Amino acid sequence: MSALTPSIRLGTGLAIGYTSPLAKFEQPVELRGGTHFLLARNGRGKSTLLRTIAGSLRKLSGDFSTEGFMQYLPEDMRFDPELTPKSIFKALLHKSRHEAAFALADQIELDVHKMYGRLSTGNRRKTALIMAENSVATDRGNILLLDEPFSGLDAFARETFEEMWSTTTDNVLRLVSCHPDYDSMQMPSVLLIEGNRISHHSEDGQKWSSLKALLN
Amino acid sequence: MRLFKLTFTTIFRKKAWAICLFAVLVLPFALPMISSVTEKPVLMQPARIQAAWGTLFVCTMVWGFFAAASLGEANTKSGTGEYFRTTGLSATRQLLEIWLALFAYIVPLALIATGICLFAAMPADPKEQAMWWTLNFQYLTLFLLVFAPLLVLATALASRFGGITGFGVTLLITIYGLYGVSYLDNMLKLEANSALQALWLYSPQYRFADLTQRLYFKTGALSNEVFTNMLLYFTAILAVNTGLSRLCFRPSANA
Repeated sequence: MSALTPSIRLGTGLAIGYTSPLAKFEQPVELRGGTHFLLARNGRGKSTLLRTIAGSLRKLSGDFSTEGFMQYLPEDMRFDPELTPKSIFKALLHKSRHEAAFALADQIELDVHKMYGRLSTGNRRKTALIMAENSVATDRGNILLLDEPFSGLDAFARETFEEMWSTTTDNVLRLVSCHPDYDSMQMPSVLLIEGNRISHHSEDGQKWSSLKALLN
Repeated sequence: MRLFKLTFTTIFRKKAWAICLFAVLVLPFALPMISSVTEKPVLMQPARIQAAWGTLFVCTMVWGFFAAASLGEANTKSGTGEYFRTTGLSATRQLLEIWLALFAYIVPLALIATGICLFAAMPADPKEQAMWWTLNFQYLTLFLLVFAPLLVLATALASRFGGITGFGVTLLITIYGLYGVSYLDNMLKLEANSALQALWLYSPQYRFADLTQRLYFKTGALSNEVFTNMLLYFTAILAVNTGLSRLCFRPSANA
């Protein structure tokens, strides 16, 4: 496999949880570059699965492997309130990515001069997302684990990110946990946690409306 | 060095360093004016020395430890520690980068205090001037050697037990090492006690690194042998302290 191709391999029997198993894979799953969604009802283990893959939490059983430069963006990640998005980008991003980050911020109406502590929830999410997206390494495969990146985000910003993701599928694997809010949302690849079972549903043209029933 | 840059920027934006910089630059010149120097001008230089190092100690123990503790706590609680860990930045490296960013503010403050002693309180006697350079260099070295691991300790304790604990415990250890051990020593001279003797023996004797009195009374630089022994002693404390800090430090709440 090329060094530029990211992958996540989740083996049969991989169980996630803190002390007792929350959910388990009954079939092996392999994810490659592109956007994959992670769906489940509240408290069923979306963040736990992402943390396990990221290496922040220990797996309870089974095996998995990853290839690529990993970034896990926790849902509640925040920066110092006195920093501005501009200072965050300048501190965390390579010089060559500053312009792209500022342009994206401008496009999705994030005021980079406003103090982080005064930003709305959505704008804080935008800051973290822009930082993570522009930290992607160009010389190797990347894995981006995004925990509820759309919470608090306006529809325009969300569409902008979804469009951006659809154009960068080769060397970036994105696993995005979310709660879809419109039936026609395209989800060609989905990891679904139903009860204590994790399964992979992959089909061209697959939409949220066809998956919704599995969660109930 | 992404975490270093983020931490350095965070400290810079908080601006408390500016108060310390102002204090270290101005108080050594302002404080002697409200002392008995006006009646005895000969006391000007000793007063300036005492004010310069006193201000530096207070700034490091109050602002330095507080900043270290709040940075350690924020790294764990804000999710940034977890983010950096998933990008491959180990807990050891995170602790090092946070410490380095803060230390980059402490070192200039220490250099300013040393500079004030060298250029605004230099003895007039040419024979004493060479000794003055050596003694100030020794003081600066010992100061940095003592406070470097204490800043790491404050960060590490705060990451696990919270900011108040990180700040409070480190401050108490430092005050005990600077002043408490002397009282304990005096107590033991009056009445022997094996338990207290053992406690004293294993206590960090930070008071040895405080050379203000030597500067104040111009008693001369430390001999090479004494200085080397002190370097070894404080390096050993640094090793123990750093090891304990690393064991204690956690980059994320569920680590």
